[in-house]
Amino acid sequence: MHLTQKLELFPDHIVTQMLFKAVTNAAELRQSAVEGKINGALINPTMLVSPFQVLVAANKAVHLQKIGKMKTRSLNSEIIFNLSPTNNISEAFRRFGVSDGDNSVLVVLVHSKDDLQLLSDVSAKVDGRQVPVEDVSSLSDIAKIKKLYKVTLQEEACGTLLDAVVCRMATKDVM
Amino acid sequence: MALQEYLSGAELLKQGAEARVYRVEFLGRPTIVKERFPKRYRHPLLDEKLTHRRTVQEVRSILRCRRAGIATPVVYFVNYNSHCIFLEDIVGSLTVRDHIASTQQSGSCPEVELGHLAERVGQILARMHDEDVIHGDLTTSNMLLQLSAEDGDSNLVLIDFGLSYISALPEDKGVDLYVLEKAFLSTHPNTEVLFEKLLKSYAASSKKSPAVIKKLDEVRLRGRKRSMVG
Repeated sequence: MHLTQKLELFPDHIVTQMLFKAVTNAAELRQSAVEGKINGALINPTMLVSPFQVLVAANKAVHLQKIGKMKTRSLNSEIIFNLSPTNNISEAFRRFGVSDGDNSVLVVLVHSKDDLQLLSDVSAKVDGRQVPVEDVSSLSDIAKIKKLYKVTLQEEACGTLLDAVVCRMATKDVM
Repeated sequence: MALQEYLSGAELLKQGAEARVYRVEFLGRPTIVKERFPKRYRHPLLDEKLTHRRTVQEVRSILRCRRAGIATPVVYFVNYNSHCIFLEDIVGSLTVRDHIASTQQSGSCPEVELGHLAERVGQILARMHDEDVIHGDLTTSNMLLQLSAEDGDSNLVLIDFGLSYISALPEDKGVDLYVLEKAFLSTHPNTEVLFEKLLKSYAASSKKSPAVIKKLDEVRLRGRKRSMVG
């Protein structure tokens, strides 16, 4: 169900993703996240193309945290910010973070070793049905993603949408 | 440092004067890591500035090319501290240089096949120059042919944008082509006709080509590698 990936560059860090559909308490979740009560990042899955996109954002966030160069205040908010193609933090939260009316949410947790307790703690807080993370591609709003990331027509011909998105995420700071 | 440990366990593909290239697995994907290591023969401040600039230029040019529809490896992650670029590993590819060499030796109809390839290269370079991207190090070793499994068609991927920059000047584009011509003819003997095909295809595909070709002719006559403008 959930997807786990070790961060090769940061041996003690593991990234776990959990996807939930039919979520009814999005507003409550968002409030808890803002208050720092949830030790994970809550992402709007309609803006995601693939779990790999989240991994890239998480990896960059951990890297920046380690060298003390995060743009936002916490690791979880940094993950959300890294998904965005722009450098405007509030815009990133608005578009990629979970909103009150959302009925699906992807939870990202960065933790050490296999902390199954953490996973069940978080999934207990979500009022929804957990589904395999790979399902996220069925929730993608392709048109919105193309528009937000400003993917050109020629670009789509030479690679996948995921390629375009990841490339922008990785190069955002120097463009 | 975790990065050094990670790289010491990785497969070193090549070491050049500029950077070391490793093959690794990153976030579950086959990845190439290009590490621009510190050059001790340079003044440290200068080295840092140069290395950082080259890293940034490479990354910018890759994105700019992608936006124009030119196939390049996808950038996954950049570490600006250690000047490492984590790029997509183009699996199942060989350099155009190796392809030309092997086709010339064993191919059934080398002229036809290589002719098609030359045309495609000309088209891609035309598109790149129309985007005002100067590659800076055009050689057949910096072009990859990825054989696609499904339809047997191959993808032409440009790599190594370390010396690239943005310029609209026909001189710079002409010099870019001149660099390729020199590299091409010295690496692959008896390929003048092939290169002509490449240039013809370039001229046909680029809107701004007449000025560029004119400059190329001038540079050839002068025999210089750098245009002294201003």
